[in-house]
Amino acid sequence: MDIGNLKKQSDLNFKVSQTKKNALEKMRSRQLMAFNERLFRADANTINLVSTLKQRSQDFYVLDVNDNPCHIKDPEVFLNKLIERNQETLNAYQQLHQDLANKRI
Amino acid sequence: MTTGVLMYCFDTPEVNYHKLAERCVHQIRKHLRLEITIVTNLETFKKFEPMGMINYKLVENTTSNTRPYRGKSVAWYNKERSCAFVHSPYDTTILMDCDYFVFSPMLLELCNTEFDFMLHNKVNDITGEDMIQGTDEGTLPLVWATVTLFRKNKNANFIFDMIKHVQEFYPYYRNLYRIRYPNYRNDYAFAIALHQLKLGDFIPAPMNMLADNVDIIDSDSDGVVYKYGDTVNFTSGQDVHILEKEWCDV
Repeated sequence: MDIGNLKKQSDLNFKVSQTKKNALEKMRSRQLMAFNERLFRADANTINLVSTLKQRSQDFYVLDVNDNPCHIKDPEVFLNKLIERNQETLNAYQQLHQDLANKRI
Repeated sequence: MTTGVLMYCFDTPEVNYHKLAERCVHQIRKHLRLEITIVTNLETFKKFEPMGMINYKLVENTTSNTRPYRGKSVAWYNKERSCAFVHSPYDTTILMDCDYFVFSPMLLELCNTEFDFMLHNKVNDITGEDMIQGTDEGTLPLVWATVTLFRKNKNANFIFDMIKHVQEFYPYYRNLYRIRYPNYRNDYAFAIALHQLKLGDFIPAPMNMLADNVDIIDSDSDGVVYKYGDTVNFTSGQDVHILEKEWCDV
């Protein structure tokens, strides 16, 4: 492959990698979710924590993203909202990821 | 409880800030659907196109500050922002620069949480060049005053009183915190006030930015297309602070 083509491929890869980075930032920012006047990130960590605590009790405390405590009185509703938001953002990211994969080919 | 957006907008000899504000209003209406108040001067007010229901507050702004922009020194009317607590008619206010463009409902989510004062302390340079990190500019943790959420309560009032005090004695505080940038900048005044008072929260997502040497070549209601060097790329569904000031002029 000549240097012109390599440069073209390199430019494309840089652009794709930057688009992917921005899409991940967008996904993380969309995962921020208000619940009981506290702010949570609907990511795997929060979902796992709430799911685990819910198996032990129907009433517990968790820390939000700013380390403020939040009393969870209805874990089922909270967990559903977390999962819903998590999957909504991941679906959007998956679509873009697919587009980028096609671009590289 | 009322929630609304407060913007400061003063045209300068070099920049038509009212054009940016018009676009900003359009985006807020689409994605946040909140009431909007614009603090401006009479000269700028006359240039606004009719935009429906907007609250205007007319003030006489100070005109003594400047900033570097694309290799030139240009006028910068940024000192009225310290009065935002008094100027805001809302219980919960999103104080926003008119060059910050909303393309998502993220700020609404933040409004539904408990806080006194909240702003960004991290940025994400969308081009990937990390041109706007703000490191080694002074000895205090930097914050970005571009988007600031506050409630009408005692703590937020303390913060704005402190910002006014810092503004009044800015050369002293600039020396104290060894800030390199010589002119008054709200980011530093806000950072100093928060450092002095140990108050405030940070928005957990970084603020997306495009530096002033990035050209905006197209836009729609979902995002912008930008050009930096030989690279053309786009944003979609992401709020973004655009430092290029002429893109709304055409």
